[in-house]
Amino acid sequence: MKNRSIALGLSMFLLTGAALADDDCDDPVSGWQPRENLRQQLEADGWEVYRIKVDDGCYEVEGRNPHGSRVEASFAPSNFELMELEREDEDDDDDERDDDERRNYQADGNRQQTMPSNGIVKGRPSVSVQ
Amino acid sequence: MRKYFVVFGLVMTMFFSATASAREVTFDTQLTNYRGDGAYLAIYLTDSNGVYQGTLWIAGRDSEYYKHLRGWARGSRMRRAEYDGLTGASITSGRTLTMTMNIDDSFIDNGYEIHVDTAVEDRRDNRSDVMVPLTSEGAGKPVAGRGYVKSFTYNF
Repeated sequence: MKNRSIALGLSMFLLTGAALADDDCDDPVSGWQPRENLRQQLEADGWEVYRIKVDDGCYEVEGRNPHGSRVEASFAPSNFELMELEREDEDDDDDERDDDERRNYQADGNRQQTMPSNGIVKGRPSVSVQ
Repeated sequence: MRKYFVVFGLVMTMFFSATASAREVTFDTQLTNYRGDGAYLAIYLTDSNGVYQGTLWIAGRDSEYYKHLRGWARGSRMRRAEYDGLTGASITSGRTLTMTMNIDDSFIDNGYEIHVDTAVEDRRDNRSDVMVPLTSEGAGKPVAGRGYVKSFTYNF
């Protein structure tokens, strides 16, 4: 009886693992396309791409979809098939703070919290990105 | 009455000495179309021997990556006090960072140099992508970088 419970538990664990592993990509590296191709394809589709990195064998893209939503998406590296798409909250991490900052520069030209104190720069700089 | 003149004179002296000690400088840093992730930039001053003097601006908020701004990291030792109040977003491919700031007059026409270090994830780091003297003569003259900086200009 005890053995049956263990076997059942083990099979449940393996099944769960298999289900979770579905989002992983297992394309052979020899068939991967360059990430720049994915960037170009997404930008042509109206995406704004902030970063592409490799995660669990997939290309993981952080950016904004054509609707302007902040997303994190995984693509198979060989054929760019969409494997996973997550919509993200705006204030989750440093990268998003970067993006917020970039937008704020456009809006108000400067967003500094503290005054510089290194003796070279006097007062708050005005900064913009175009 | 004479007392008021003395006070007025003192106030005016303080005002003019304060305004005369700093000059407004605008820096434009245009990046090439390198088509990668946002670039981190460190814009800083050294003396004529290349010894770090202070930070003008850091583009890129994640201090984890500051070590890739190699010349700046070495000089500043990445101390927070060196860049507090002088950081902003990383700059994406092809964009131009424009910053206007008041710089202490003693750093202009006195042998000091502006350096721009650049770094992009998964790509090479460029120590002194730009290196140019901070002089009245150099104002308004664009300088090409040797990494991700297409053009760097400053104006008084």
